Amino acid sequence: MKTVLRSWCAWSPGLETAEQWTAWAKAPQPLASEGVPDARFLPAMLRRRCTPLSKILLKVARDGCNEAERSQARTVFASRHGSINESIGLLENVARGERISPATFSHTVHNAQAGLFSIAMGNRQASSSLAGREDSFGSGLLEALGHLEREPERPVLFVMGDVPLDPVFASLLDEPACAYGVALLLARSEGKDEESFEVALERPPPDAKRLAWPPAAEFLRLWIAGSTSFSISTSQHLWRFTRQE
Amino acid sequence: MGLIQALGADADETWPRLLAGDQSRLSEWDTGTDAPPLIVAAVRDNLPEIPASLAAFACRNNAMALAALLQIESPLREAIARFGADRVGVVMGTSTSGVSDAERAIRHQLELASLAPAFDYAQLEFGGIADFTARWLGTEGPAYTLSTACSSGARALASARSLLRLGFCDAVVAGAADTLCGLTTGGFSSLQAIAPEPTNPMSVNRRGLTLGEGAAVFLVTAEPGGVQLAGVGESSEAHHMSAPDPEGRGAETAMRKAIEDAGATANEIAYANLHGTGTALNDAMESVAVDHVLGREVPCSSTKPMTGHTLGAAGAIEAAFSWLVLQRAEHRKLALPPHLFDGEIDPACAPIRLAHKGETAEVDGRALVLTSSFGFGGNNCSLVLERKLS
Repeated sequence: MKTVLRSWCAWSPGLETAEQWTAWAKAPQPLASEGVPDARFLPAMLRRRCTPLSKILLKVARDGCNEAERSQARTVFASRHGSINESIGLLENVARGERISPATFSHTVHNAQAGLFSIAMGNRQASSSLAGREDSFGSGLLEALGHLEREPERPVLFVMGDVPLDPVFASLLDEPACAYGVALLLARSEGKDEESFEVALERPPPDAKRLAWPPAAEFLRLWIAGSTSFSISTSQHLWRFTRQE
Repeated sequence: MGLIQALGADADETWPRLLAGDQSRLSEWDTGTDAPPLIVAAVRDNLPEIPASLAAFACRNNAMALAALLQIESPLREAIARFGADRVGVVMGTSTSGVSDAERAIRHQLELASLAPAFDYAQLEFGGIADFTARWLGTEGPAYTLSTACSSGARALASARSLLRLGFCDAVVAGAADTLCGLTTGGFSSLQAIAPEPTNPMSVNRRGLTLGEGAAVFLVTAEPGGVQLAGVGESSEAHHMSAPDPEGRGAETAMRKAIEDAGATANEIAYANLHGTGTALNDAMESVAVDHVLGREVPCSSTKPMTGHTLGAAGAIEAAFSWLVLQRAEHRKLALPPHLFDGEIDPACAPIRLAHKGETAEVDGRALVLTSSFGFGGNNCSLVLERKLS
């Protein structure tokens, strides 16, 4: 299926504008791990309970599309870790036999960002939240294409991001610790003069080199660079992208 | 279809108990806090052991999924042999992942300043259950986990159908698993959503939900025949993180869209499996939405008084019950799971038709069943299953 990338938005500490990301794409560096975006666009009631991840994902989701799209697009939120850092606090409560906070519990479900976005933007369209370990970005993209399959005429806002995992668990993982969010507004190609892309997945190459930044940022880097054919490898799959004018 | 929950360790064991309205398997759960024990629908069968080669994934939630997967291991492996490992995908749903094991690991950490040695992050991260399933089966297609709270399991089936239609897969292993843990028992207790007695949906005396656990998995292919996933309907509520829109607009949209997607009309629906959690807000809004969409003649039931609310697995388990209703049709008669409650319908709920014990539905050639799941964060998904009966 040919898919159009109508617009994108990304955020990481120190990389907060399209110009900064374009410069980063030419000379990429590992992404920063500490920082939270200003989320004053959210009503105070919602913002107060937002986790750092929620602020990042809601920021890029909001800035990744126009006002009509915010309330009318289907949404897909992908994150490998979600709000597990906050869940760890709840698990410590459980381990100590303490009662847990209902608000924290509601805001650490994996679809918290989807729920918050729907409430903040008055969006009543279908929404998925998912995780796919190292393949969370590619999996989210497939899920977004699935929404385009179910309703071809409606765009899908695909949002991916993570924050560094709590040290309790981070030692169990081998991945770059960074805070980031990427939003891609996707639509089905109508075959006009639009630039579209296709994605396919293959077995991972045995010698895949590890990226110093997440696959979502790598996708953005190669997209900004204008590459017509590129791939992104994880330990699980090779994701092959082909771009057509 | 593979299935495990409090009623039974497979479909054959579950089916007669589901029709009989068996609540004898509910048990008590020690919360580990100063709160009194909860009534839960726990799975008390022994779960299969995770193979040593997948020790990183060895948690109760994956064992629950494996119990369901083993029931359909032959057709799954036949599909892999037939289509190729790279053409078979996995979409699983969960809201708990391996939290029950992570709680033990954290307790160990608090006491001994190191995580329990058997713990691996792959047990806790949401993506773990799909990767576990893919590795256990040796599939190489896409593998991911949906976690949209109580609609996760229904959504996994919707995504599976899309992956087939988009051509990414020729077969998808789709389902969900959730396990009882301190996080969800404590979380729903803190929301004052858990009833002190077995859940009593649609009753004026209802006091909340009963938590449960379990798993259901399906082999989804594009082949005709059998029971088909004919319709998917989805919506968000734009209302509240932990409470549904009291007017049931989101629920109504999901149900209407699923029926429309199936190319059907509401009067063709032979049975509806309700979300029916037994909370004041859910049942009031859901009955209104069902009344608007289906009217007052279509028999409906919540199966949660028997299985508890299995949260992330509920959509898959209730799709499995709907699948059984169709698959076990005799001639043109469907046997229906009863709606168990004290019979005192809440005047605040719309007077929809609640199926009684022994109730059946006569269908013509096309039998259609609707099942709905409405999740936290206002995430709704309804499915229509269909079987052509001769």
